[in-house]
Amino acid sequence: MAGTGKAHLRDGATLEVHDLVVEFPGPKKSVVHAVSGVSFDLNTGETLGVVGESGCGKTTTGRAIMQLEEATAGSIILRGQDLCDLRGPALRSARRAMQMIFQDPVSSLNPSRRVKDIVREGLDIWGDPDGSFSADRIDEILDAVGLGGADVGERRPHEFSGGQCQRICIARALVMDPEVLILDEPVSALDVSVQAQILNLLQQLKDRFGLTMMFISHDLAVVKNISDRVMVMYLGKVCETAPTDQLYANPAHPYSRALLASIPGHNLDLPPASELISGELPSPIDPPSGCRFRTRCPAATDRCAAEEPILQAVGDDHYVACHHPVAVSL
Amino acid sequence: MRKRLGLLFWVSAVYIGVLVFLALFRDLLPIRDPDALGIRTGDCRQFQDPGWNSYFGCDNLGRDLFSQVVHGVRPALFLGFTVTIVSGTVGTLLGVLAGFLRGVFDRVVTTIIDISLAFPAIVLLIAVRASFGNGIVVFIVLFSVLGIPGYARIVRGASLSLSEREFVDAAAAMGATNWRIVRRELLPNVFLPVLSFAFIGFAVVILAEGGLAFIGLSLDQITWGKLINDGRVEIRDHPHLALIPSTVMFGTVLAFNLVGDGLRSLVAPREVATARRLIAEGSHQPGEEGAVVHVRNLRTVLHTPGGTVEPVDDVSFSVAPGESLGIVGESGSGKTMILRSIVGAFPLADVTRGGTVEVAGVDMLRSPDATIRRTLGTEIGMISQNPLTALNPVRRIGDQIIEPMLVHGTRSKQEARDRALELLEQVGIPAPEQRLREYPHQLSGGMRQRATIAIALANEPQLLLADEPTTALDVTVQDQILRLLDGLRADRGMALVLVTHDLAVVKGFTDSVAIVYAGQVVEYGPTAEIFANPQHRYTVALIRSMPNLDLPSHSELATIEGAPPSLIDPPTGCRFADRCPAVQQKCRDESPVRSGTDAHSYSCWFPMSAQPVEVS
Repeated sequence: MAGTGKAHLRDGATLEVHDLVVEFPGPKKSVVHAVSGVSFDLNTGETLGVVGESGCGKTTTGRAIMQLEEATAGSIILRGQDLCDLRGPALRSARRAMQMIFQDPVSSLNPSRRVKDIVREGLDIWGDPDGSFSADRIDEILDAVGLGGADVGERRPHEFSGGQCQRICIARALVMDPEVLILDEPVSALDVSVQAQILNLLQQLKDRFGLTMMFISHDLAVVKNISDRVMVMYLGKVCETAPTDQLYANPAHPYSRALLASIPGHNLDLPPASELISGELPSPIDPPSGCRFRTRCPAATDRCAAEEPILQAVGDDHYVACHHPVAVSL
Repeated sequence: MRKRLGLLFWVSAVYIGVLVFLALFRDLLPIRDPDALGIRTGDCRQFQDPGWNSYFGCDNLGRDLFSQVVHGVRPALFLGFTVTIVSGTVGTLLGVLAGFLRGVFDRVVTTIIDISLAFPAIVLLIAVRASFGNGIVVFIVLFSVLGIPGYARIVRGASLSLSEREFVDAAAAMGATNWRIVRRELLPNVFLPVLSFAFIGFAVVILAEGGLAFIGLSLDQITWGKLINDGRVEIRDHPHLALIPSTVMFGTVLAFNLVGDGLRSLVAPREVATARRLIAEGSHQPGEEGAVVHVRNLRTVLHTPGGTVEPVDDVSFSVAPGESLGIVGESGSGKTMILRSIVGAFPLADVTRGGTVEVAGVDMLRSPDATIRRTLGTEIGMISQNPLTALNPVRRIGDQIIEPMLVHGTRSKQEARDRALELLEQVGIPAPEQRLREYPHQLSGGMRQRATIAIALANEPQLLLADEPTTALDVTVQDQILRLLDGLRADRGMALVLVTHDLAVVKGFTDSVAIVYAGQVVEYGPTAEIFANPQHRYTVALIRSMPNLDLPSHSELATIEGAPPSLIDPPTGCRFADRCPAVQQKCRDESPVRSGTDAHSYSCWFPMSAQPVEVS
């Protein structure tokens, strides 16, 4: 898995990420290779699901796009403007176009502020461009996320459940009318019935406001439900990307197959996960040469150690970074 | 609010209020001139004892001690107040900026703090006092400078952890300036801890003045410290001269400390250490032959300071050797409390358990402690959600596996060591010889969970209790751990009870399942049967709300409106009634009786298989 390569990029995308590299200082002057040459794009109105296990770099990628982590190399282009070049006021201004929803909804809200003030924070910072964001508009947004009711705005976050707090976070992001919404494990901390409410809500909001979303999750079933396209990541690289139903029906990368086979109680036509993946996740400080998945892959050959696979088309809009992909039935 | 702060807080607050009044209006009060010499005016004798003539007595020149003490209030409060404001403001700003900006600024601030805390303050005081005299401004500047590091330190710590919170990231993503983030997101959240610290700092300033007066370094006006120091000379014959100002100062310091503590308890509520008692009610009903764990009509009541909670209400199940039971529910449903009720481990509270819990033939509620401990140690293995906290970080893996065998004397030391090696191999840990000598932090999350499983298996228990064993793990690791547990169950004929919120885990790895809602088992039966043919409306809603790989993407999921009822005062009738799409009046009036068969039972007045009811 290598995941370098850009064959899968499209023309005229809203957000383009090119060769993104994010490295952190590790212990004893080592370097943690969190994200290593990831490229992808997002079209307007599209939901891209990013899936992978801990250490795959999915959260770091999202935070780097938000400019919450500094990219070591690469470019993040939103509507033709490279965000990595921006500093100071220009950067703050560009950030308005992107918003992020985090995993822990309770921790995402300042406990000492009222909901009304939290939701209209963006307007307080940037002003109200066309005067349309009156108090009515805040109520309307709260209503859109399912928190109608007169006194919601006056209350403080601790008076709400986890699911309701996540709705408040979504409202806060929507007020900014973002071009891209990045959601980092937004339903992982919620109970299954509440999780379903939030997933349905996101789908409704996407249809209503034409949201463009990057949905990061470790949960393959959740990602399948919400996404138009899915990108599978492993140890800082892209393994595979395809339209959702195509990827779940015909996973071509050995790691994608292992992930799907690991889901308890699935009905997919796959061998047991124990035959598809072995060993432990290598350290991101010293990742394997060539394909990073080769140390755990049953199909690995000498070529995988010597040569990094490049993303290549195996089907319609279906790209895989693997020297030995599983044949895709179309 | 009033109740939480307690009586002492309010008494202290009133005391401080009286002091503030005296400080502000002392010149309007009908009290004598504190400097008037009573022996000359005839108002007071030398060393007169306290009485109606002069409440606190008089000193060697007949000066009225009461008015002197009252006059000492103003310098004490003025000094405390100004010093607290100055050092609190400067310290808070330095601390919040150090915690938020980090980097060079933080290193400079922390270095200054470290140096100033190591600096002998008394030397500085003497030096400054010698050079600049004893005006009150000198004391204010001096005490303020000395007070800053304390504030800076607590605010820096609080800001560091606040800066990690997502709402700070969210504000940055919103395009907020650093100053705005500090002002809006950080400062309001450090205000209460700073305020609580300020009251304690206030008391320290008052004490410090007293201490300085003792070595002859005080203000150029009447202060409590001076009064105490003067009275000290006559302590043998006229103790009231030193004792009364001391008592007033002591009371003041105590009052400020109590108010500070009270405010701190609002930030971090102190744990109320209730005595923990386990009480068993009712009588034991022996289980059927062959079940490893047999639970019948289990009812658990927690008596907490906040009220009486009943997280387990009439729960029954049994698990035979080699079988697995899934206990499924959402957070707060009481599923974990069922496991805790089996082993008798609860958070601090008095607990009453009623009904029957039998493990390997032992009554776990009413047997002697030694019997219960032996059963826990030898017949039950426990696996918890977070393998990192389940393992002792400073002990080697090998020692932790050997421990239960030595404690219960099931094996000699050498046998235990051999067995530990064998166990690590069985749970799939590579290079077991080496792992035995390693510490938990040297293992990955999956390997740690394997190690806790090895510990649980050490004494070959008949029953394995697993509480969300894979929730903290990645999906490929989860698959490995669940397969491992499943294999151990099959090979060793253990009974496995798996508590989880994840229906997919239950579907893939259990023989039977108990669906828990608001402390009750609402449906119980074979797993395959329940997924194919769920009867309780909650079970149906739960299954339909689960994102499913068999559904195409963008399928709308079923949701359950509303929230589960509080377990402190649960509603009468069916506890799911308020959220149920098929609710009838009967559901709200009467608790549903258990129906269905012994194999598949459910508590619902209108289960899925019933005739469609007319909506009333």
